Amino acid sequence: MKTEKSTIIWLQGLTCNGNSHSFFNYPQMPSFAASFEILYHPLLCGHENFLSFLNSDSSFDFLILEGALSHDERILERFGLPFYEILDNLASRAKHIICAGSCASFGGVFRLRDPLKITGALFSGKEKGGYWLEKDNVVNISGCPIHPKWLVETLLALHLGEKVLLDPFLRPKEVFSYLVHHGCLRNEYFEWKVDSHQLGEREGCLFYEHGCLGPMSHANCNKILWNGVSSKTRAGSPCLGCTEFDFPRVALYETQKNMSLPQTPFGISKRAYYSLAGVAKSFKIERLEKKLIDENN
Amino acid sequence: MKITKEIIERIEGEATLELEWEKEKVSFARIKFFNYRGIEEILQKRPLLDALALTPRVCGICSHSHAIASVQAIEACYAHAGEFLHVSQKANDIREIALNAEKIHNHIKWYFFTILPELKRVSDPTYQGNAFKEKQWFHAQNAIMESLKMGAHFTGQWPHGSFVMAGGVTCDPLKSDVLSALGCLDVVIAFCEEHFYGMKVEEFLSFDSALQVMSAPSALSHGIDEMIHHGFDRLGRSFDRFLALGKSYMYEGSLKASKTAVLSADIKYAHESLEHTFFENRHKGYTYSKSALYKKSYYEVGPLARLMVAKEPLMRDFHRRFKDAALTRVVARAVECAHLVWRTKKLLQELNLAEPSFIPPKKDIHSLSGEGIGVIEAPRGSLIHHVVAHQGIIQSYDIITPTVWNLGNGDRQNPSTAQEALIGLNSFTKADFILKSFDVCSVCTTQ
Repeated sequence: MKTEKSTIIWLQGLTCNGNSHSFFNYPQMPSFAASFEILYHPLLCGHENFLSFLNSDSSFDFLILEGALSHDERILERFGLPFYEILDNLASRAKHIICAGSCASFGGVFRLRDPLKITGALFSGKEKGGYWLEKDNVVNISGCPIHPKWLVETLLALHLGEKVLLDPFLRPKEVFSYLVHHGCLRNEYFEWKVDSHQLGEREGCLFYEHGCLGPMSHANCNKILWNGVSSKTRAGSPCLGCTEFDFPRVALYETQKNMSLPQTPFGISKRAYYSLAGVAKSFKIERLEKKLIDENN
Repeated sequence: MKITKEIIERIEGEATLELEWEKEKVSFARIKFFNYRGIEEILQKRPLLDALALTPRVCGICSHSHAIASVQAIEACYAHAGEFLHVSQKANDIREIALNAEKIHNHIKWYFFTILPELKRVSDPTYQGNAFKEKQWFHAQNAIMESLKMGAHFTGQWPHGSFVMAGGVTCDPLKSDVLSALGCLDVVIAFCEEHFYGMKVEEFLSFDSALQVMSAPSALSHGIDEMIHHGFDRLGRSFDRFLALGKSYMYEGSLKASKTAVLSADIKYAHESLEHTFFENRHKGYTYSKSALYKKSYYEVGPLARLMVAKEPLMRDFHRRFKDAALTRVVARAVECAHLVWRTKKLLQELNLAEPSFIPPKKDIHSLSGEGIGVIEAPRGSLIHHVVAHQGIIQSYDIITPTVWNLGNGDRQNPSTAQEALIGLNSFTKADFILKSFDVCSVCTTQ
């Protein structure tokens, strides 16, 4: 059992601070504090510490990156220094680099302003080659924002010397092998192809008309839930696919269709999906047409 | 003339404060914000509803506020095109509960994560902060989490929940969800009573004298003592002009106040200035922050402004003693937090679940052309979204955030609220705290 604390430096690129604030929602913060020491976090510490660390040659365990990155100092600077000077300096001394959120992973929302100059750490959208062309110690924890458990539990596993299996986008498989669809309370409506007639109701699936990307978005939102109690789909809103490289797609509240057919769920062939969908749709399941809680019956 | 440049940290984002000194006193201040992200540009040419998903990404600490301002702007677009959407009382209440969850969390986070450690730093510059160390910090973090969990019963998640739609909200909560949310709020109230106020919230809200608050041992009275000790009961005063353009249950309509005189206000007099920005002049500009003015004058927005226009008795007494000093601004957030937990409890208890959550507009959004303004009272003050759409596609999107009101860059003849508060100070340490007393959000400013 490791007794020494692991050290963290948290650096922000172009960001809304959403990942920092999501991190502050970690429900077992005393356990986090027992295993980690934050050497620098922009919301908590002063730059005196930071600059003296920057000018030292000490190594540290985790460099957490939040926000989209850029080599262009006109786009991004910190402490009056070009951002690349700071990042290159720290990256060379960090044992692990953790990209917290879709911006640091893929470029995210802010990449859209200038996709050539604003990128994620190792990816620009789905293309390999972001701020760096290659690096072997990067873990992407995508999401807009990250779920605090995705971040802290990945840090803990690495802190304990565990091997963290990663998917092709360098995301921890324990989180990102799941789809948002898994655990969605509207699953039965999806199975029987019963559309949500309108928003603001508990019944119906949001996949067919309302743009839900749950069946093709990798994340365990509906397994571990947000803020411990809910998720987008549980609050009646479509999954926006915020953990994927192409977030945010255009027309987030509309289902993109080809010949009036929606995109198929991740890893399911068109033939398999449309055959099964056709059969399911041919049955009218009375129970699923009714309100979930029927006040009169 | 001496000019100093210092980086302001431990705020939302980063700012640079450039001070001009004459005879050891600040004679002028420039507040610079960099790292522009361009959400307004990114929204152009996208379908209208994308604004509901993307504007929360302006700011990680007030994402629900942006979502609500955005949906109001779209609803105003419908009204502009001739269709007045009816939003049910239930949906309006849920929006207010979500907004309150965000405000309550913000005020607690700001006081315990920022103000208390910053006050310690004023006396001991080597102080390393309370985060992840002190018991009180962990208690505060738990209260913050419970406040946001309370809201997440309706919004799905915080930050960056999507729960609003033109015509209502997307969630359809059960009674058990409401009861669970009430349980979370009770945890927040217990924290406030034990740590923040040192007494029952009800008793705190019955006060009309600063002395009543200051005599009870609590984190708040401790902070007040510290602020008086450092002179923040006199420092940080500005124009004593307040503006609250968004609605609140505490007052009617949009209001402004000059000292204690309250008058009605109209959003049509709110305007933005690009002066001193890189947008106006790439070379001579020095900040990405625009400035917001009301009839060419700078006003203070935020909790103090809201309580001043609402003529809240306790805040009025603080104001009578200390005017709009840094202390008054800080206390206002604590006082507003007490009102908000009480108000939210009532909203939850009375939420009428039998009403519809959402009433769909008749007009197809793809054919919607027009413009609309959404204005709400976000944690830090009046937040305005202005959208122009053609055939359901965003032509332009303009966001005026609270920090743009408070921390704009005027000139010597007409300085902004924060600039005025800084002029005359004799140390950077004090300037740093006074700037922070506005609860600076640089990320909102450089959206």
